[in-house]
Amino acid sequence: MVKVMVVDDAAFMRLRAAKTLEEQGYEVLQAENGAQAVQIYHQHRPDAVLMDITMPEMDGLAALKEIRRLDPAARVAMCTAMGQQAIVMEALKSGARDFVLKPFQPDRVVAAVNKMLS
Amino acid sequence: MRAEFINPFVQAANAVLQGELGEAPSRGEVRLQSSAYTTNDVTALVGVTGQVNGVVLFGMSQKTACCMVSRILGQEFKEFDALAQSGIGEIGNVITGRAAVLLAEAGFVSTIAPPALIVGRGTMITTLDLQRLVIPLETVCGAVEIQVALKVALAARVPANGTGVALAR
Repeated sequence: MVKVMVVDDAAFMRLRAAKTLEEQGYEVLQAENGAQAVQIYHQHRPDAVLMDITMPEMDGLAALKEIRRLDPAARVAMCTAMGQQAIVMEALKSGARDFVLKPFQPDRVVAAVNKMLS
Repeated sequence: MRAEFINPFVQAANAVLQGELGEAPSRGEVRLQSSAYTTNDVTALVGVTGQVNGVVLFGMSQKTACCMVSRILGQEFKEFDALAQSGIGEIGNVITGRAAVLLAEAGFVSTIAPPALIVGRGTMITTLDLQRLVIPLETVCGAVEIQVALKVALAARVPANGTGVALAR
């Protein structure tokens, strides 16, 4: 089964994304901050990652860089409410494959994951 | 409080609430308020820092809060539990984040802090010398009141000499 990791400090958002992806047949792993995401990525090597940017402990941009250092082929899409150009550019420069603006709609989440896996 | 701060929040709230709840909210008359805010059942607080500083409050009844998270997640919340609280915090976070993007486009670059929640009515919140812009909204789940208390940071403020040149730090 294809594994997708959802990273967000808000339990509500994790559950929401997980529910959407599980309905599509994906196995979902959850992490509540960047540091935990790096650890889970290292252990489970998910096929794709959907990650928030503003999080405690380690933010999404730092976690993206760390995950890409562990696995240069890692497929990570960032999702955030703060779609400012500088943040988007930094994420893309650091290897993010896609950028999902919150509030994310279920079909947008599924499309982002499918695109990463295609 | 600057009038140009109204539109980013109105636009962001409209877009987010329409996307999340399936119907656009209707807006009441925007007003300025200086006196302390007495909380409704649920108040989400989101801090803003950068070229504009301050706080944005989202007040609503518990019934409205439960209705909103129920509609978004597609499962009924009868109690305002930790998961529902997380959902309301995120709505505040996402609306403020969207508004921050619009504020940045208008020349006020700022970032937002993680949301906090006050649960329980009757708490008095004062924004001290900052006037609040009150945006009353009527959503499909009931009334939501957005209170915007922001000021332009010193480095971004246009000087009083009227040159229109922002102070450089």
